[in-house]
Amino acid sequence: MDREEGHLSDQELLLAAEGDLQTRLSAQVRAHLAGCSICRARMAEIEETIADFARAYRQTPEPKLSSIDGPRALLRAQLADLAGKSDVGSWRRFFQFTAAMRVAVYVCVALFLAAVAGKIVVQRSALRAENPAVVAIEPWAIPDRSLTPGATRRVTINEVCSMAHEEVIREVPVLLRQQVFREYGIVNARAKDYEVDYLITPGLGGADDIRNLWPEPYTSTAWNARVKDTLEERLHEMVCAGQLDLSTAQRDIATDWIAAYKKYFHTDGPLADLSNVAVLVDKNYAVLARVHFSRRGDTRPALHSGSARLLVDVPQSEWLTSNSAMRFRPVARSGTPFELRSKLCVGSNFKDGSVDGIQIETIYAPAENAGASNVS
Amino acid sequence: MQIPPTDSICELTFPTAPADAVPVSASGIECKVMSLFEEFRSPLLRYVISFGVPAHDAEEVTQEVFLSLFRHLQLRRSQENLRGWIFRVAHNLALKRRYANDRSRGAEASDWKIAEGQSDPSPNPEEQLAFTQRQRRLLAVLRALPEADQCCLRLRAEGLRYREIAQVLDVSLGAVSISLTRSLAKLIRADGV
Repeated sequence: MDREEGHLSDQELLLAAEGDLQTRLSAQVRAHLAGCSICRARMAEIEETIADFARAYRQTPEPKLSSIDGPRALLRAQLADLAGKSDVGSWRRFFQFTAAMRVAVYVCVALFLAAVAGKIVVQRSALRAENPAVVAIEPWAIPDRSLTPGATRRVTINEVCSMAHEEVIREVPVLLRQQVFREYGIVNARAKDYEVDYLITPGLGGADDIRNLWPEPYTSTAWNARVKDTLEERLHEMVCAGQLDLSTAQRDIATDWIAAYKKYFHTDGPLADLSNVAVLVDKNYAVLARVHFSRRGDTRPALHSGSARLLVDVPQSEWLTSNSAMRFRPVARSGTPFELRSKLCVGSNFKDGSVDGIQIETIYAPAENAGASNVS
Repeated sequence: MQIPPTDSICELTFPTAPADAVPVSASGIECKVMSLFEEFRSPLLRYVISFGVPAHDAEEVTQEVFLSLFRHLQLRRSQENLRGWIFRVAHNLALKRRYANDRSRGAEASDWKIAEGQSDPSPNPEEQLAFTQRQRRLLAVLRALPEADQCCLRLRAEGLRYREIAQVLDVSLGAVSISLTRSLAKLIRADGV
């Protein structure tokens, strides 16, 4: 309710309950509440509603959330990987498996390779079809420079790099999005078809300004919003690594982001994205994998930047603990095979079609109840 | 087998010496991150799913949040209000994932589907029915709210303070209190009070 004659407003009551009123105002509110049963009752009603809603809300989704065990093990493995703990001994651990385990892992890796290789073939075909030399760049893949020349805010390199790229992703307000669509003459725009995107991303000092926004299509073009996202992340990394100055990054992405992509990824077209590779296996793993791609003439395979994550939920009830070095053991289940999902983004090694080998190094996430000492 | 609590063994001390003089213990940071993961995974999943992000993608977003947190702590950035920081990164990544995810449409009614599929631990059928009906009413009001108001209410339901909500959503404290006042009025009306 709005503030009525002689009574506190709901907003004042909310802030008072939270202790977020300024000291002087807080004292006044407390004094009023002490002598006003109507406001006390209203405050109690508000607090009860919040508590009831919180209870209803928090009780609702719990039963559908998956077990924490698999995600916990996966996060632990990834943290260890980030901290550089997993670099040593992973192959040694591989060879410490029991014979049955080795067979299982060979099957898994073989299937994975088959799936990846199959996907690569498909992807290569797709890449040829999407060759930017023969595929026209669709409307608004590059913004209209008269409408979207790009705009920056005053920002220092320290500010840009003080937060990870993902921390400065911003949502464009609805009204501003609609204004952008109007400017570009797009009627009945569907959210899933466009990302109203910053030409110069906020992570590189781009401004919240309509001159820095345009409707970037997700679909129907090789040069889409997802491709630009990878460029933004790449530029942010390069700027913060001191490999590129901020003003150059801003200028390049604002002038022609596709040309910038080609320049910084050393490619003529968008890099292949092997997202959602499906692998059928007959064992249940929580596993972190690094994928090495090799090219003819390479003396050693190149590690693709980043790791491929095979995210699979492992119900703890189905883990076996044993005395083996690898206490986290998979258990065959009836009704298998089931699907492992994997998201891979393949780098420029694939672009020239010279890939002739893939190796997968697997790093197993230790089970919580196994004790990490045996797998370190 | 129960996992031993990790809080008691986390050591995350940031020395007062110059930042490059004494490295922060990676194991201490891992320990802290895992501890926060245990505490906030479920609330974060609920929050990310509320954006229409499918559950398996929400799980990946949650993993990304804690990997970012690891990097954040490793770089000795502010530890003030890590709960707000975690929700802010989750909020941003959830929006990003939703934009990038063509499948988000199918998951919009996730609260509703979940509510229908679960049983309530109330002691008798009458109470259980009453609770479920009320829960549905409250969630129906929630879904009818503008997205910004929904976010405020969901974060409040997760126990965030108004200042933290303002930080997550990058709005003023006044905007949060106005949003919550508006939403609560609708909840109270729907509740027949």
